[in-house]
Amino acid sequence: MKGFFATFKHDHWVMPYLRRYKKLLALVLFLGFMTFFCGGALMFNSGYLISRAATHPYNILMIYVPIVLARAFGIGRPAFRYAERLTSHNWVLRIVSDFRKRLYEAVEKQAVAIRQTHQTGDVLSILAEDIDHIENLYLRTVFPLVIGWLLYLFVVIGIGYFNWAFGLLMLVLLGVIVIVMPLLSVTVNGRREFQARQVQRTFYTQLTDAVLGLGDWLISGRRQDFLAQQDAPIDQIASLRRSDHHFQWWRNFVIQFIFGAAVILIVWWAGVMFTHNQAEANWVAAFGLALFPTVEPFADMSQGVSEWPVYQDSIKRVNRLDEHEPEQVQQARIGKLDELQIDHVKFTYPGAEREVIDDLSLTLHPGEKLALLGPSGTGKSTLLKLILGDETPTSGQITLNGEPVARLQDQRAELFGVLDQQPYLFNTTVMNNVRLGNLNATDEEVMAVVKAVELDDLITRLPAGYQTQVQEAGSRFSGGERQRLSLARILLQDAPIIILDEPTVSLDPITEQHLLDTVFDVLKDKTIIWVTHHLAGINHVDQVRFIEDGHFDMQGTPAQLYRENPRFQSLYNLDRGR
Amino acid sequence: MIDQRVFKFPGVKPAMAIMAVLTFVQAFMIIFQAKYLSIAIVNLWRLKSVRTIVLPLALFAIVFLARHLLTLAKNWLLYPFVEKTTKTLRKQFMAKLFDLGPSVVAQKGTGNVVTMGLEGIDKIQTYLMLIIGKVLDLSLTPWIVLIYIALIQWKEALFLLAIYPLIIFFMIILGLAAQAKADRQYAGYQRLSNHFVDTLRGLPTLKQLGLNKTYANNVYQVSEDYRKKTMSTLTIAMTSTFALDFFTTLSIAIIAVFLGFGLMNNTIQLLPALIILTLAPDYFAPIRNFANDYHATLNGKNALTAVLDILQRQTPTDRDLLASREPVWQAKDTIKFTHVEVSYGDKQTPTLKDINFNVQGFQKIGIIGASGSGKSTLINTLGGFLSPDDGKIEVRGTTVPHLDQRAWQHSFVYIPQAPYLFHASLRDNLAFYAPAANDADVTAAAAKAGLTDWIATLPDGLNTPIGEGARGVSGGQAQRIALARAFLDDSRRILLFDEPTAHLDIETEVELKKTMLPVFDHHLVFFATHRLHWMNEMDYILVMDHGEIVQQGTPAELQQQGGAYVRLRSEMEGATVK
Repeated sequence: MKGFFATFKHDHWVMPYLRRYKKLLALVLFLGFMTFFCGGALMFNSGYLISRAATHPYNILMIYVPIVLARAFGIGRPAFRYAERLTSHNWVLRIVSDFRKRLYEAVEKQAVAIRQTHQTGDVLSILAEDIDHIENLYLRTVFPLVIGWLLYLFVVIGIGYFNWAFGLLMLVLLGVIVIVMPLLSVTVNGRREFQARQVQRTFYTQLTDAVLGLGDWLISGRRQDFLAQQDAPIDQIASLRRSDHHFQWWRNFVIQFIFGAAVILIVWWAGVMFTHNQAEANWVAAFGLALFPTVEPFADMSQGVSEWPVYQDSIKRVNRLDEHEPEQVQQARIGKLDELQIDHVKFTYPGAEREVIDDLSLTLHPGEKLALLGPSGTGKSTLLKLILGDETPTSGQITLNGEPVARLQDQRAELFGVLDQQPYLFNTTVMNNVRLGNLNATDEEVMAVVKAVELDDLITRLPAGYQTQVQEAGSRFSGGERQRLSLARILLQDAPIIILDEPTVSLDPITEQHLLDTVFDVLKDKTIIWVTHHLAGINHVDQVRFIEDGHFDMQGTPAQLYRENPRFQSLYNLDRGR
Repeated sequence: MIDQRVFKFPGVKPAMAIMAVLTFVQAFMIIFQAKYLSIAIVNLWRLKSVRTIVLPLALFAIVFLARHLLTLAKNWLLYPFVEKTTKTLRKQFMAKLFDLGPSVVAQKGTGNVVTMGLEGIDKIQTYLMLIIGKVLDLSLTPWIVLIYIALIQWKEALFLLAIYPLIIFFMIILGLAAQAKADRQYAGYQRLSNHFVDTLRGLPTLKQLGLNKTYANNVYQVSEDYRKKTMSTLTIAMTSTFALDFFTTLSIAIIAVFLGFGLMNNTIQLLPALIILTLAPDYFAPIRNFANDYHATLNGKNALTAVLDILQRQTPTDRDLLASREPVWQAKDTIKFTHVEVSYGDKQTPTLKDINFNVQGFQKIGIIGASGSGKSTLINTLGGFLSPDDGKIEVRGTTVPHLDQRAWQHSFVYIPQAPYLFHASLRDNLAFYAPAANDADVTAAAAKAGLTDWIATLPDGLNTPIGEGARGVSGGQAQRIALARAFLDDSRRILLFDEPTAHLDIETEVELKKTMLPVFDHHLVFFATHRLHWMNEMDYILVMDHGEIVQQGTPAELQQQGGAYVRLRSEMEGATVK
């Protein structure tokens, strides 16, 4: 219980929506209540109807009202149920739209332009799933719970109206079903759910190991070990599920037991209250039958509530998202680029011990082309992040025309174009994907840049040409072709500084050659900073610098280095295959 | 809905027999429950004293409890069968994966296989639990209840009987209409639903293009479109449930009205009428329960199909054709490929055509070719992960249909571009092929692979957990770990390399090469790469193009002959620094 309130104490993702769309919410609850009301009323009415008919009234008009009501309730229940389900889904989906936008905005604030590890992708998928969970929270837990309670109150008040003592008895008896049982389910399940998740995670990890590392397992010949490794988690999961089921069956039985007692008590009470004359006695059957349709919504409450631990997790996670606005730096604008200067920059990641960048200085003028090399982890990607402004140097600064990059963030897309290792193509048409570089570009402009990167032939030969959905054509585009599409975007962007972040790392040498030739041809007037992992195409640049342990090591023009630096010479020769 | 293969699981017949008996008895309990309750109510209606309801209510209580205890018993008794079957399925699935090898994983997709093993089999468990119970319920309960009703009053029974096919007819028709609509909308629907995750994953690109902030509105808009589309689909999809609800509920209302008329005309007494009215909901309950769990059953059935499809595949039985021998490879041993043809996946044209070579003893064989020339496929065939469609393979004088031979697999080490690191300690990863090795040997092998310095930086040394999510391992280090395995298990004299250094930066590659070259001594090495400098270390080179070996010979021979080798080299070398 404590956990329950704690979850909502600082919540600003779930509760506010209950307030925002409250008219629709009220409608949902009303329709839900009416569904079960009609169900119960149908049996109540039918019981009375046949009892009254059995007294052989002289005129059929005496039972006319119950006959009409029978049909009304008979049609009403399914109609209300249908309406309730549509309305509840509509309500939830409206919230989902809001959620997604908010979630996007929260994540967007922390996004960086240089690709993180793929782990980030998984975190984002989890967040997207969290929204699904919160959907289910409403549909499967909140709505059934509240509607069930409304029904409960109605039954108790209805009976209490005739006899308050008996009403109290029903309050307690049915209260066990609608309050105690759900609480019990959550408590018991909460503990089990935590264990289950641990085991599930272990099993998932081991299964992934088994599947992804299958080749190695086969080669090692350790079949027995392979099978034995899966045994423990399989048994644990089975045991957890078994306990889960046992609990549910017993819970359902207890609910039915109490329910049976309630029915017996109602019949007995009706027998005491309503047997003073025949007219009254007609109501006994009504009361006797009315309670049966309510067992379904009452029992479902416990089931829906037992899924709470999963939802709680999701609620906590989205609430933890930092929606804190980053410190706003006063923004400026620059005109034509004169120089990019990196001035005694040092950088350490927050919380890390090692200094990733240790006093780097460098000046670039428009049109100059620089290649950066070095083993991974030496700070090449970090330097790119610093240049783009996604990270701030611990000391020193990076300026364009004297203006620090932090003050040029608003103008960023006009100043920098970035070509990644794995360019991301969105699930839309080819035309739209390229147009992302400049949303105001005309179709002709898009086709011109696609021609410049030599993809026009390929695109026009696709079944829908430029309107082909990239998702379908995804596999049709090879690594090199994806890079060219990304390059087309950059051409549309027409920024003066282009950052190339190891764009050829997954390409074979021939594709790599052709791509680099195209890249340096179409971008010949731009300032280029190129992080690369080997020396193919190095003759395209003016300057080469190696980064070692956070500072520049070998540097110079490619020809100079080749002549004067033996280490560079041997690296180059090796790279070229000699 | 009912998959025939469920009936083939061991133990299904006794389980079903018990369930059938219990369901049969339960149907009678349902009938008696209605009867005794009605007796009590009618006594009260006749204004008899409250004492007269004691016996009927007591009997009602017993029968009611018995009915629900039977539900408990049915679950309790069926579960062991379901649990055992699920466990067996899981274990069989894992064993089958091992026996089929990585090719089935590559074909189905890693994500799919992992999901199958985990969630898929969970769904099968739910399916088994549901399908047996509900099908028996549906086949027995309504008809027993109907026969009893017919014995009381055949007109009502006829009506109830006639309604059934009507319900099923409408559900099917509406279900098909909904499916047709959903199918028409499917592609657009999927795109809308994936849009959110797509956007999150593409955030770095959006940031690069300066579109990150403005895209938030797009997210909202698309989500709203999704909502509208979903609602329009749901409006139709829910009509089939509405039909079920409508007919069942309205039938009860109609029955009540008919009974009313019958009572008025004295063609029926109150007691039988009340019993029929009480039983009517129970007549419809089994089909309503069945429809409620429709989605779970559908998912379970699909999962069952997917899993059984894998379980039914043939495992190669001819894996022991090659004799085991110590040492596994000697100077006079040969491996010979004659007109070997290999198809990868479902492709019509073979990936490898007419492969011929004859290698003896300890040699370094280079495999070079442009991207897509079949280098990886050849290595995979050499590793036994792929089976030839045609041609002859001869190892140590023995002809084998494929290299998926136990003895062969114990004789090589396989080093791909991204060696898989298990979620285990560094030590376990190093000793993967030789788990019984002692720490001294492991440390020595790690030293030979050049890992000593790195291990010194690890918090727990050899016991540090690595693998995805744990301590990150850079590309060069992963290759070294794979190499260390070769050092540790010295009995493996054959080395298969598939592009081991393609992604590494040039300096790491140079360092790694220094470590790797000593390993090649006294080993048979197959080295597939497009990094040209490795060819200088090879004794013999296979030049591949479009799946065929277009040229082979020693480096000197090939250089002298000119042709494909020389052309390929010059294409890959590209322009040089002047």
